[in-house]
Amino acid sequence: MGKQARFQLSFLAPAIALFGLFVLWPLGQALYLSLFKWSGLSANKTFIGLENYTRLARDEVFRGAVGHSAWLLVVVGFLIFVLALGLAHAMNLPGRISKAVRSFFLFPHVMSLVAVAILWRFVFDPTKGGLANGILGQQVDWLGQKSTALPSVGAAFLWYSLGFYVLLFMAALSQRDHEVMEAAELDGTSPWVKFSQVTWPMIWSVRRVAVIYLAINVANVFALVWIMTAGGPDRATETMLTVLYQVGFAQSKFGYASAMAVTNLILVALITAGIMTATRRYPA
Amino acid sequence: MTKTVGRGALIVYGVLVLLPLAWLLVSSLKTGAEILASPWSFPASPQFQNFANAWSDPQRPIGPAFVNSVIVTVFTLLILIPVGAMAAYVLAKHPFRGSKVVLGLFMSGLMFPHFLTIVPLFKLVQTLGLLNTMSGLVLVYVAYSLSFTIFVLYGFFEGLPDALLEAATLDGCTQSGAFWKVMFPLVKPGVIVVAIFNAIGFWNEYSLALVLFSSGGKTTLPVRIADMATARQYESDWGALFAGVVIVVVPILVAYWFFRDRIQVAMTAGSVK
Repeated sequence: MGKQARFQLSFLAPAIALFGLFVLWPLGQALYLSLFKWSGLSANKTFIGLENYTRLARDEVFRGAVGHSAWLLVVVGFLIFVLALGLAHAMNLPGRISKAVRSFFLFPHVMSLVAVAILWRFVFDPTKGGLANGILGQQVDWLGQKSTALPSVGAAFLWYSLGFYVLLFMAALSQRDHEVMEAAELDGTSPWVKFSQVTWPMIWSVRRVAVIYLAINVANVFALVWIMTAGGPDRATETMLTVLYQVGFAQSKFGYASAMAVTNLILVALITAGIMTATRRYPA
Repeated sequence: MTKTVGRGALIVYGVLVLLPLAWLLVSSLKTGAEILASPWSFPASPQFQNFANAWSDPQRPIGPAFVNSVIVTVFTLLILIPVGAMAAYVLAKHPFRGSKVVLGLFMSGLMFPHFLTIVPLFKLVQTLGLLNTMSGLVLVYVAYSLSFTIFVLYGFFEGLPDALLEAATLDGCTQSGAFWKVMFPLVKPGVIVVAIFNAIGFWNEYSLALVLFSSGGKTTLPVRIADMATARQYESDWGALFAGVVIVVVPILVAYWFFRDRIQVAMTAGSVK
């Protein structure tokens, strides 16, 4: 081995070793284990082929969880997208207000999700000491009844995530072609036409990234739901990863939990690929 | 007209961001009874005792968990930065046949959610005898942050002119000498960005710590505080719980305040071209 090769190898080896051992190997293992019935003890590992997957397809709890994730993605995701796009425009306004908001709008997003979850659990506390009840002057058991539990978790998710998407769109808006924007300005174009004909097509790539991030983040919301509701009441807020966690670590069904992990990965990959294809009409 | 609407929306947004945080802060100084009575009242006398109670709670003290979180965050960074920088440097400045594949493998770590490997990862860490140890958690954190770290530092190294490297080697530096004495110091801005961004992530991390480092009373701050919140569901010492949450959040908000421009750069890295 030459001097150069030895140098390259010695610099890369620690990273490759750690990444291979703790990231790639478990990822491969998840695929492999999903084909077994396994309670975690090596002696009781039985190969059952795709049975975990066929069971999963009929599993009411898991299907419910996928439905809740889909609801969060479509309803809350849509709200986040629209609000972030609007607020990013407002943030570009000159003046003290936008300067002040810019200094703290990412606070929720840099906080630990655990802190966000605890905070919002008490915002929706059933007593009149909860912030939501305090504002509305009512006493609603937000997280304790099925009809309001998922929207309440959605509100916490919105509060936590919105800033990041505002930041994304702010970055996109600041990178618009200034000459084109000025030309539109000179032509006396109305704000709506300027937005729909100029800005919207120009921020195409960031729109796409934002939707993909939303899909990934919604599919992987765990800490927030787990701490706010633990999937309850009566499984009304169960999401893919809360089910996975219980099946894997409370019930020790490692093979079945791995099949859930793989299914989650496939669903996210399909959604991402779908978005990529559907938004291909503007060439980058 | 549009400007008025825009400013109005910003004010509403600002209030909605700050209101829960202000409520958290005020509540952390109230008694349990005061918290339950109304979210709008101020404490009759500020209960600084809440913080002491949370810090040295007999069952779930925040204090040791805080120390653990500091240790885990610091040690993870101390390993991650050199390991990540060395790899990024070779991939950016000394490419070889197949180096694009190696880079692609590292980048694949950005694509999939880390929780998905949790079951095999748990078994692996157990087999290695690292379950419920800080070293185990540190190594896992390093491994799962390499993708982002290499991705950002690769960009920084790529931007350095090759002439610098040639000059350093002509001066008699070995390849690794050229890296540590010349190239690594030049990407300091990038190192700071990834260090801050990763540190916030380690400080906040919950899911991996919950599974890999949370038994025998030893754990990190987020797991401990979540545990406190769940256990206290029907108890009344809310003041201490709110104080605990303030202890988790304040270091991050202070760090964010000082480094917010750099953090924003790190957050949008790769998504805006």
